Formats: sequence, C-alpha cells, structure tokens
Amino acid sequence: MTETGKMMALFGVSTEDLQFLIKTALSEGGDFADLYFEYSTANELSLRDSEVNSTGTHIDYGMGVRVLYGDQTGYAYTEVTTMEEMIKAAKVASKIASHSNKNSTLLIPSLYNLKENSGSLSLYKVKELWETTAISQKIPFLKELNDLIFEADSRVNKVMARISDSNSSILYFNSEGTLASDIRPMFSLVATCIMENNGRVENGSSSRSFRAGFEFLTKDLINEIAKDVIKRTSFLFEAIQPKGGEMPVVMGSGSSGILLHEAIGHAFEADFNRQGTSIFADKLGKTICSKDISVVDDGTIPFNRGSINFDDEGVPSQKTYMVTNGVLTSYLHDRISASYYKTPPTGNGRRESFRYMPLPRMRATYMENGNATESDIISSVKRGIFADNFSNGQVQIGAGDFTFFVKSGYLIENGKLTTPVKDINIIGNGPEALADIVAVANNSRVDNSTWTCGKEQYCAVSCGMPSVLVKKLTVGGID
Amino acid sequence: MINNDIKNIAGYALDRCLKNGCTAARLTLNNNVQSSYSVRNDKLDRLQQANGSSLYVQIFTEGKYGAYSTNRMERHELDKFISNAVDATKYLSPDNCRKLPDKTLYYKGIEEDLEQYDNSFSNIAPDKKCDIAFNCAAEIYKKDPMIISVNCEYGDSDDYTYIMDSQGFEGESSQTTFTLSAECSVKGSGDSKPEGWWYESSIFLDKLIKEGVGKKAFERAASRLNPRKLKSGKYNLVVENTVSSRLISPIISALNGTSIQQNNSFLKGKLGEKVFSEGFTLTDNPHLKGANGSRFFDSEGIATRNMNIIERGVVNNYYINTYNSLKLKLPVTIEGPSVPSCDFNYPGKITENHIDIEHILKKCDKGILVTGFNGGNSNSSTGDFSFGVQGFYFENGIILYPIKEMNITGNIVKLWNGIAEIGTDPRMSGRWLIPTLAFELVNFSGI
Repeated sequence: MTETGKMMALFGVSTEDLQFLIKTALSEGGDFADLYFEYSTANELSLRDSEVNSTGTHIDYGMGVRVLYGDQTGYAYTEVTTMEEMIKAAKVASKIASHSNKNSTLLIPSLYNLKENSGSLSLYKVKELWETTAISQKIPFLKELNDLIFEADSRVNKVMARISDSNSSILYFNSEGTLASDIRPMFSLVATCIMENNGRVENGSSSRSFRAGFEFLTKDLINEIAKDVIKRTSFLFEAIQPKGGEMPVVMGSGSSGILLHEAIGHAFEADFNRQGTSIFADKLGKTICSKDISVVDDGTIPFNRGSINFDDEGVPSQKTYMVTNGVLTSYLHDRISASYYKTPPTGNGRRESFRYMPLPRMRATYMENGNATESDIISSVKRGIFADNFSNGQVQIGAGDFTFFVKSGYLIENGKLTTPVKDINIIGNGPEALADIVAVANNSRVDNSTWTCGKEQYCAVSCGMPSVLVKKLTVGGID
Repeated sequence: MINNDIKNIAGYALDRCLKNGCTAARLTLNNNVQSSYSVRNDKLDRLQQANGSSLYVQIFTEGKYGAYSTNRMERHELDKFISNAVDATKYLSPDNCRKLPDKTLYYKGIEEDLEQYDNSFSNIAPDKKCDIAFNCAAEIYKKDPMIISVNCEYGDSDDYTYIMDSQGFEGESSQTTFTLSAECSVKGSGDSKPEGWWYESSIFLDKLIKEGVGKKAFERAASRLNPRKLKSGKYNLVVENTVSSRLISPIISALNGTSIQQNNSFLKGKLGEKVFSEGFTLTDNPHLKGANGSRFFDSEGIATRNMNIIERGVVNNYYINTYNSLKLKLPVTIEGPSVPSCDFNYPGKITENHIDIEHILKKCDKGILVTGFNGGNSNSSTGDFSFGVQGFYFENGIILYPIKEMNITGNIVKLWNGIAEIGTDPRMSGRWLIPTLAFELVNFSGI
C-alpha cells in the first residue's frame, strides 16, 4: 500500500468518498474545493524543581472542507470523519457560492482527476519515530540538562525544561484532483533558567526546534542548550536599559531574522497586497533596497522548523526569492493570491490545523550573505546598539511600523562593543529600515529556536540573517 | 442542566482512569459551536462554521501527575488513550504536591444567574448574522475617497464546559459571545496605508452594539494621517481603555503562583508589603453579572470570591491554586483572574464622579495618549519593560496630532507608583475591566 493509501485507511475514506465530498462542496457553484485531513499527536515532558514530574499527550483529529468562489472562501470542519458529518461540513462550506455575489473569477480548473503528488519531497525523514520513543528514553536528557545548568553557575536558582514532540498525519485532496499525503514531525527542547545574585533575579531561555525524530535529541544538543541558557542569563546581571532614541543598530547573525519576518515578511504576504493594504502593494518589480540584499522564504531546508514537503493547499514546497539584488521579485502566495496575480502559487498556503483555512504564511525567511564582516560593521559605528537575542516582534502592515524586543545586546561606542544592554524594544518602519541596511556581512545563518508566527492562527516558522547595519532605528530606553 | 451525553463520556473516562490504577482524576469536557461571517468591501469574503469538543484528562497516580487531551470520544479510543496515559505517567518522579483540591473549597452550587448565556443562540438565522457584517461595512464602504479597504466580521460562539473529579465535584458553565469588528485602511502620505479598527462584544446578541462600529474604524484610521515622531524624553502618559489592560498584565502575571514558586516574579516575597502607590487598588469581581469572565468556580472546581488583590498599594493576595499552595505553603486563593478591575483613590477625589478620557486628558494637560501598542515585552523577574506605542500628542487636554515609531520604557513597579489617574470608563466588551489610565512622566524614545 502506498503512503497515501495508508493515510486514506487511517481516515477511513476512499477515492470515491473524496470525490463525492468535493462534488458536494461545489454543488452550490463554487470554483474550487479542497479537503484537509489531520491526525496529530503531541507529547510534552517537563522538568521542574529538578524532577521530571509532568507529562501529557494531546490528540487532535478531524478534517476541514474549503470552497473558493472567486476569491471568497467558505470553510467548515468536523472532528468526526463519517461521511454523514463530512457531507454536512461540505454543504456548509458550499454556501459561500450561494450567499454572495462573485467578486472575481479564479483561474483554478475543476478536474476531479486523481493526481497523486506525495513523495516528491522528503525534507524530514525520521529515523526514530516519536510514537515508538518511550518516556523513559527522554527523561535522562532533561535530567542531564538540569544538572549541567546547575553545575555551570552557582547563581542558578531554578531550572525549567521541556521536551515537546509531535507527529501530524496529513491527507489532502482538491477539485483539481491533487491527492497528497505527508507525515510532519516536530521536536522542540526549551530550557529556562532563573539566577539570583545578591537579591537580584534574572531569567533567560534557550530553545531548539526541528522537524525531526528522536535521533535529534542528543547529548550535544543538551550541552549546546545548557551553555546557551547560562550565557544568556548570566549576561543580564551586567546589562542595563540604555538611553533611548534614534541610532544605528547592528543586528547580529541568526535570530536577527526577526527583523525580516516583521519588517518585510508579513508585508510581502500576498493577501495583504491583493487587498491593497500592505505598504509594499504596487512595489512588485521595483528596487526597494541595496542591490547587495537578497531575501528568501524557503520551505525546503531539510529538518527545518519552517519546512514543509507541500503546503496546506497541496502545492509542493519551494525556495522563493522575495527580494533579488534589491528588487522585490515575488510576494508569498496562496492559491487565491496566485490566481489574482496570475502567477503560480509559491507553496505558502499554510494553516495551524484542520480547524483553520489556509493563508499566505512564511516558512524559513532569511537574508543571503553579503560581502562585509561583522567586525568591520561594528567598528564602523561610532555610537549605536548591537542586538543578537530577541523574544518577540510585531508589525502594522499598512503603516509599515514594526518592532522587535531585544532580550540582550551591547552598546557600541567608538566601534567597540561596550556595556551590555537588555529588555528594550526597537521600532522602525519596514520600507525605510530595508532601505537603511547599508552593510551586509558574510555570516548568514538560520536560527533554530522555537519561532512561532501568530497571524490569525499559529504557524511554525524560522528566520535567519547575516549581521547587518541598519543606519537608523528607534531604540527604547530611559533617561 | 448537565447534558447527559457529555456527563456519560466524562463519567466513563473517569471510571477508566480509576480502573487503570489512578488514585485520583479530573475530567474536563469542552464543547464549542462557532460561526463567523467576514465582509470585505461589499462582498462576503469568508464564511466559517464549526463545532468541536475536547476531553481534558488530569491523572494523579502514586504521587505522579499527567495532563492529557483528546477529541476522539469513542469508547474504544478512550480506552486506549487513558490506558496509555496512565502508563506514561508512571514513569515520572513523584510530586506529592500534585493533588485534587481540599473538598471544602469546592463550589457548592448557587441558584443565581451570572447572565453568561443567550438562550437564542441556536435560533439565530445565518442571514441575520451575515446582514450584521454587511451593514457594518456599508457604514463606510465608498463613503470617503481615502478608503482603500474595509473588512468587517460578525462572529459568535457557544462554549460549554463540564468538570467532574474523583472526589465527587461536578460543575458546568456555559457562555455565549457575539462580536462585531471592523478594520479600515486609508490612503496615507507616500506609500503609507494607516489602519483603524474597532470592535464590540457582548454575551447577548441584542446587547451587541451593531451601529457605528465601521464608522469608528474609519475615524480611527483617518486620525492616523501624517503622524510625527517626537523627541525622546519624559512625557505624561495616558492609555486609552481599549488597550490599558496591557499595562496591568505584567502585574497579573507577577501575581501568578507558578511565577512566585519559580522565583520568576518581581512580586515574590512582597505579600503584605506596600509595593505600589497608596491609592492603587486592584480587585477581582468574579460574580459580576453580565461581565466577560464571570464564573462561580475555576478549572479545579474551587469556588471564586471577590478579592482585593492589591489594596491601597499593598499586595494582599497571589493567585494560588492547589499545587502552588502546597509548594509555597500558602492558602489557596484562586488559579487566576476572573474579572479584574482597578481603582485609584487620593485625598480630595470625589468617587461618585465619572472619570473618562476627556477628563483625564485635561487633568494631565499635555503628554501622549496611547491608543495602541506595537510589540514590546516585560521582564517577569525584574518588571523592566519596553513597549512600542502609537497614539496622539495632546496639549491643554486637546489632541493635536498622531505620533509614530515611539517606545515607552521603564519598570512596571515604578510606572504604577507614578499613577496619576484611573478612569471609571472600562469597556464592558473586554475581559478585564481596565479603564483609561494616566501616569506621570514616562520615558518615551523617539528622535
């Protein structure tokens, strides 16, 4: 039996069932319909007060039916996959076509002919399945992580650590006849450390996440996280909230990709652009920044948290150049926006689960290497901030104002890193900040922390960056 | 009345837990029905309907604890699920603080209506819901040439929760929610497209404010044209009641028992101490009729009660559940806030007066009115914060122009010690009843 055949057996459906559901979904005149089946199992194992003393498993099962009518969407889901319940959901979703006047015409043909496309990519082949990994195999890793953190610094007061793993079985079918299946693993390890020194308390966290199996949970990874969380937390005792205002900001490599995610990534998602609400609407094909800058949204990095073999609309994943040598070359498309722009979908139609309809979402968003070195960039700044550890960000799509919160960094004074800084928000304007990137280093890397994007629904993503110099951003601070 | 089907599922699951060797267990079953209708400009953009359930199983066995959930309720699925759950829990280290609550703290049942449920919910016609969204958009679509896009959404939900445990506790609660929201984008200077939003929410459809939502979204978008960035410095800060809960949130988090127990709270060790300004009082009012979040019991079944969390600047209570009570050797209070609200009293204040945003702007004379936050965070250990803000500069109590790309930065304890006024105008559509707030001389970063 093929993988897709096994998946159909898991959900108890036949090809005929799928085709009947699509016909039902289109019965009111819709242009396109798709079915998304999901069976997810997520496990958690937690350490607190030096003991592994909490665990859990969470099962989520169901299917969603989507109908497109022009660029309008009808959606319904059910947690019971009997034909009776699925037909009900299909009928609810079909109502989009009878409830409204058509806004536009989608260029998506309705063929119904079966075209199986699973297996074209295999970005996260698992060697050791989480479902066959016993809790007793995971516990020693959490205990060792706890011990390493406590042994590393006498100021450590508390450690919390958690292993999360999940497995999602996905079956997809649409009115073009595309039939696809995927098994999506996810693994995350997070440690939080509390240190106390002379009555002052600070907390720091470190995490790693991959689409991978138990083979990724190694002693090396435990060592890496232990060192990282100790470094991040102990650093804070020396750090201050600096004097704020406009100043040059050097973004360190890796997690600084949050700048791309917030400053331009969301504004490049094509739903905002086709509606004319993004500050980058009408900028396609235009130069928006230095020709030294190329920005990619890539769903094909093996084992990366943001990778997908195909998106949640059955489109094979791909590497999409959003900015090529300073020119805006592509938005991030789902099927609706791709039809609007008369371009192929980019594989960015993603959703949190079967409970949600897909939207254009990022995957792994990063900037490619430039020619400078990080040390040259830092030494070129007379007074500014170096930021390399972030917790969260946000953007206002229309105004273009974006922010990210800096957990730690340094002041730059006369070309040198001096006083550590912490807990400051940095705010800028997307197009201006992109145009203000005046130096790009040759040290690009993708950060493997547990990045999660929250545009209406949650999606696992990642981000990356070489070190860059932004000529001017507004740094939060105190007098 | 407890739905018999749901009771049977929970009862069966509880029985399976005990037969598999659990010493105690708690079952929580949630059922949710929801729909939404989104209109973009003059067309229905999205229609969504769903009905979902989940069973949350908390297992206590040999001093060990696990929390599991599933939405597969068939008996053969539950048999396998619970058997696996009990087996997995046995691998853990014992934690003797993991227990069901002291039975004397349970909610015992009160014949009183908290006004949380609209009985008409299941009889509301889809066309009526659709019309509400269309009418909202029609208030502004094509009414002004600067409008780029209008998105309005009607949404409703019916949430039902049933809890039972092996000590005999049984409780249920139902809440309906109706929301109407609008977002409007307008042409700004250059490529800028400022957005404005507004929303209304109610437990009862007939009390949902349906008129003016679109207009307010447009007015708020139009008010954002040509914003300026001000010089960095200290300004009086007024925070509109739509977003003021953002500044109380770090305090609520710091009062959480887990944060206290994990030494990750700037309010650890402050019980009984005066930490905040003498006039500042934070209360929790879980039995307020018709308020979002009102409830008779928490997720452990513990009866809620009115509490002064912070009274005249003194930290009176933490949010302590059974586990943290045993860990910290402190009495159980409640797991978390239900309907928090705050007040500010100072000598000479006339408490009967209604204090709204106009009053507060006049009192503060000049400064920055914040109507939206853009990112930022606060440090749970220290209370240090930094938030991106948008809003307006005002002088003589009059709003002059919008501001952009600015941050406020400081420490939450110091901020709240500089409280200048707390309004009496919380939005009942919010879960936390936090009114307009004013603080003296806060650090703003701009040019």
